[in-house]
Amino acid sequence: MEAPLIHLTLTLPSSLIGEFFPILQQGFLVTAHVGCTLQRLLCRQWGIAPDYVATRITTIFLDSKATDNVETAIVRDGATIALSGAMPGLVGATMRRGGHLAAMRGAMTHQETAADATDRIGTVRVKLFNLLLTELGPVFLKRGILMGCSDVISFFRERDETFWESCDGGNINGTPVGAGLLRTTQPLCVGGSVRLTVNFR
Amino acid sequence: MDRIARIDMGAAGGPKVTFEEVGEYAGLGGRALTSLVIATEVHPLCHPLGAENKLIFAPGMLSGTTGSMTGRLSVGCKSPLTGTIKESNAGGQAAQVLARIGYAAVILEGKPAGDDLYKIIINKDGITVEVDNSLQLMDNYPLVEKLRKEYGDKVAYITIGSAGERQLLAASIACTDPELRPTRHCGRGGVGAVMGAKRVKAIILDDAGMKMRPAKEPEKFRDANRKFVEGLRKHPVTGEGLPAYGTNVLTNVLNEAGGYPTRNFKGGVFEGSAKLSGEAQAELEVKRGGTATHGCHRGCVIQCSGIFNDKDGNYVTKQPEYETVWSHGGHCGIDDLDTVAKLDYMDDNFGLDTIEMGVTIGVAMDAGLAEFGDREAAIRLMEEVGKGTPLGRVLGCGAEITGKVFGVEKVPVVKGQALPAYDPRPIQGIGVTYATTTQGADHTAGYAIATNILKVGGDVDPLKTEGQVELSRNLQIATAAIDSTGMCLFIAFAIMDQPETFQALLDMLGAFYGITMTGDDVVALGKKVLSAERDFNKRAGFTKEHDRLPRFFYTDPIAPHNQTFSVPDEELDQLFNW
Repeated sequence: MEAPLIHLTLTLPSSLIGEFFPILQQGFLVTAHVGCTLQRLLCRQWGIAPDYVATRITTIFLDSKATDNVETAIVRDGATIALSGAMPGLVGATMRRGGHLAAMRGAMTHQETAADATDRIGTVRVKLFNLLLTELGPVFLKRGILMGCSDVISFFRERDETFWESCDGGNINGTPVGAGLLRTTQPLCVGGSVRLTVNFR
Repeated sequence: MDRIARIDMGAAGGPKVTFEEVGEYAGLGGRALTSLVIATEVHPLCHPLGAENKLIFAPGMLSGTTGSMTGRLSVGCKSPLTGTIKESNAGGQAAQVLARIGYAAVILEGKPAGDDLYKIIINKDGITVEVDNSLQLMDNYPLVEKLRKEYGDKVAYITIGSAGERQLLAASIACTDPELRPTRHCGRGGVGAVMGAKRVKAIILDDAGMKMRPAKEPEKFRDANRKFVEGLRKHPVTGEGLPAYGTNVLTNVLNEAGGYPTRNFKGGVFEGSAKLSGEAQAELEVKRGGTATHGCHRGCVIQCSGIFNDKDGNYVTKQPEYETVWSHGGHCGIDDLDTVAKLDYMDDNFGLDTIEMGVTIGVAMDAGLAEFGDREAAIRLMEEVGKGTPLGRVLGCGAEITGKVFGVEKVPVVKGQALPAYDPRPIQGIGVTYATTTQGADHTAGYAIATNILKVGGDVDPLKTEGQVELSRNLQIATAAIDSTGMCLFIAFAIMDQPETFQALLDMLGAFYGITMTGDDVVALGKKVLSAERDFNKRAGFTKEHDRLPRFFYTDPIAPHNQTFSVPDEELDQLFNW
């Protein structure tokens, strides 16, 4: 029998957003309507302002390919989307959306194909880099991200005193849980997946 | 900056100092000056460590002024690593101080006959050259500490560590930062070995009694500088990304692009990259009481550096750059920032190029001297270099020699110099620059300069493959010009994206020299520099066949994009046709 999805909610001071950077950089899963354009996913589903997408998210990778046009790139089930702010250096400029130096990257530019792009509920992996970590990280964490139980356990075990002293405890499947018990990771040792939600105060 | 000092280290009776007007080199600075002196005065077939080679120190055209970002020092010579002409530049305080003392260039010539080691003291009263054998085989950190006791803290130091003294081909020249740490290195091409061959251990620059260089049109200069700084501060790269995360902000992006060379260029994605990223590095630095924002010289508004402390809060090194974190990290399969920081300190202390040494250790790992990912082994190999053991001397001579000695087939070098942190297979355009630059593989030779504003060679269709050659040409021309101003290359984004910031830069140059400076003038300067460098290399025996990447980049596809380098040779051969 498949392990149930655990709904875990934490409340933390906003100063601890940096603790989540490793997760946000390496990527987390999000449930989404797939089969739509990147623009639609970012703006309509995730509520990111179109102006922010246009001016702040200057570098986007869809399945490791630099993407120039968010209005034509289609997000399929299982896709990986990496979002980045402006980057320095020649390669930073080369990867930039629609940049002057796009020719430098040649065939690693995303080209939309006619492959099946059925509109349905799926999951995508999201990675956030640099300036977007602090700007979009809290948004995604508040909406909830999907992680394996073992990944959450590893995350908790790597946290130091500062984290646990600042943690107000949490809530597992609607039941309040103290920080002390969370720290033991015992409530998570049932395996399966966790939908982690973090409220920053 | 109205005169040039020449120091003949091989003169009969001991080093001899002469002074001359700038003459035919008037109005030049930085790379333009070093490269034109080399091209004009150095025999292209000379041995780089011999008496015929010259070592030129040149501040930029705007160094020593109140202009922001003007602190790059160019060092030029015939490179012992590549055999080509070489310009290597660094931040730190040296360029500003040397320019304020009044020198457009200090040129070391000749070679002493004996084993004596020298230090050179440059101040407003002139230049003295003294024997100081107490400095022998000292490394940079203790060396600067010793010199500070004698010359104090209100000076700038240019030094070589034990690697330079041993004339290892990866040896760098260190410049001190505002805190007088020897953390800013003219790293590439073995320039430190040339200084070692001249038997010069340290140059002490003292600008006491000197003032900022005055502009011909002070108000215009001040106004242009203000606009320039505003432009840097408002741009997301120079005003936010670099100050927050430094250049290592590139790790995540390169890894995501599949262009992060891993385990000696065997893969394009490193599973441990998030542990090495600039974001992780900045968090760690701040948590340990260091800083993720720090300027390498006074007058820097970008502040892309930082201070890396150990877990107990003690200083280890300055914030390692992206290329350093890559070379000692992913390239060697190492995912630990503390190990990278220790290796960065060792590079700075021994006086070595971090890119060359990281790549060399990766090649050594490929040869079986250690396992990829073995942190302790990487440190042990570096210690060999510091001790000057036979193995250390091999490693300290760089990736190409190490590969030859240990029979490694796939060695990532062009013209003998190790490739930096960007795989040319998924990012083909940078491969064009690696292959064709006059300097050996170098990511800074074609930076992201405002070629779109300069219109060098016209617009390029982003979908045309031949656009890669044209873009690289444009970038190399523009970069050669910027390298001559003394400006930090990180101004590139602000001047590329904001025409008014580029105009402010031109206005700074124009107001300082009392001329009208246009984009065409910048292009002309860049072409002049590159033409001189290319001509020197040709006379040194380099042909179009040297403008190629190592063969394995053409034959071995790299995951995840499974691409090889495919820009045709015929197109590469067109790069210098203008």
